[in-house]
Amino acid sequence: MRKPFRASAVGAILGLAVVATACGSGDGATEGDPIRIASFNFNESVIVAEIYAQGLEANGYTVERQLNLGAREVVKPALESGEIDLIPEYTGTVAGFLGVEASADSEATWEAASAAWEEMGITLLAYSPAQDKNAYVVTGETAEEFSLTTVSDLQPVASDMVFGGPPECPERPLCLQGLQDVYGLEFSEFVPLDVGGPITVAALEGGEIDVGLLFTTSGVIADNDWVSLEDDMGLNPAENIVPAIRTEVVDAYGDELVTLLDSYSEALTTEDLTAMNARADLDQEDPALVAEEWLTENGFLEA
Amino acid sequence: MTTWESVQEFLSEPTTWSGPDSIWARLGEHIWVSVAAVIIAGVLVMPLAVWLGHIRRGSGIATAVVNIGRAVPSFGILAIAFLVFVQMGAGVGEPWAVLVALIALAAPPMFTNTVAGIQAVEATTVESARGMGLTEREVLTDVELPLSTPLMVEGLRIAFVQVIATATLGALVAWGGLGRFIVDGFARQDMGMLIVGAVLVGLLAIAAELGLSALQRATTPSGTRPAR
Repeated sequence: MRKPFRASAVGAILGLAVVATACGSGDGATEGDPIRIASFNFNESVIVAEIYAQGLEANGYTVERQLNLGAREVVKPALESGEIDLIPEYTGTVAGFLGVEASADSEATWEAASAAWEEMGITLLAYSPAQDKNAYVVTGETAEEFSLTTVSDLQPVASDMVFGGPPECPERPLCLQGLQDVYGLEFSEFVPLDVGGPITVAALEGGEIDVGLLFTTSGVIADNDWVSLEDDMGLNPAENIVPAIRTEVVDAYGDELVTLLDSYSEALTTEDLTAMNARADLDQEDPALVAEEWLTENGFLEA
Repeated sequence: MTTWESVQEFLSEPTTWSGPDSIWARLGEHIWVSVAAVIIAGVLVMPLAVWLGHIRRGSGIATAVVNIGRAVPSFGILAIAFLVFVQMGAGVGEPWAVLVALIALAAPPMFTNTVAGIQAVEATTVESARGMGLTEREVLTDVELPLSTPLMVEGLRIAFVQVIATATLGALVAWGGLGRFIVDGFARQDMGMLIVGAVLVGLLAIAAELGLSALQRATTPSGTRPAR
């Protein structure tokens, strides 16, 4: 097994390049410091981060946005070293990254993940009912030709198929590794693309790949009449959206901040996510605007 | 695991040395796209550049071209070209978008060095050639081009080295090349893969630099060679 290189190295590189304004680790957050909100490098994460950011701003908090920061490999060290304060996370993937057990049970997965991350100074607030899992997607034609409805159905044909997903996929337990370990799938080839973005969509459309890694909340799946194969052997754990925040910041700002973030998590649903993703991905609407409308519709912002 | 161990581990894996993701396959992709970009850029800009040099005009244009060339972001061109090609039906993973971006990168230094190189030939030399009865064509092919070849080769060298370094961006739009090791190594936190990729790109650029520098010396007419 290759081991990840030191997280601090990534943190340092990205810290210099992207988070130039952040002032290093462990400087002891105090109330009044801006809350640095980050997101991963895909629209859904940007939208949810914008919900947090605009919601907090409307309540008088000063926030600083570090959106589209990168993949978790980059963001997690930045959070742990205090270069960012808050990011929308996914419970199951966090558990997987921290090496604790994740299951289809939302509550148990959240408990395991939050207990493990607490030691590193990161608090997982209450999780949202909204979930977004990895989706293994084929085109309608492919599904029909090989009569595919579940991931298991891929077993007889995978060896002739090309799988496309983000470059980190081969090393991820919920991507190629898991498909191999849990389903015994060995694809003929893996093509490194992007994180459920336009390149993966174009590759699936153009037939360069047969199976693509997208997200269950991707608007493109329904829009193209594609088929998201059912995870019949339960590879994917619960993936509830959850605010991951530095404990120092929680301590500095106290209950009011937690209550606000909890209220957004509580109101957010999987259907909301799917609808908002479709607007950002398909209709090219500004994620900030999509987030603003959600906040207004749900009564968090004055219309 | 230390960095050095991760490099050793990457180098000891069989897939590193054979198959579609091997160093050889990526090196081959990287070299052919770089060479193709420089050749196409040359074919596109050299005729105009040679003509402008010969009639001794356009030095202002030449400077402007190289300045614009410096300012244009290769990644921007690459991203736009990728989307355009995909909409036109080109497949993901095909090299066309990368080629377009690299041609745009290679053209300015080749254009500018050619115009400047020909114009740098002493006016008295050219006039003497005309006075000796050489036709305009002969003035160009027998006097101006041989004397300006070193500067033209320098343009080629600058272009080629930049193209080799920049072709790594292709991995960000799902193309191959040595950038694959850098992008994938970073995404997977595989330090070994990342370092090997970066070092290979560096070595390739140095090799191109040395090879074309030698060519530049070899094409310098003996009479104009500076004393060593």
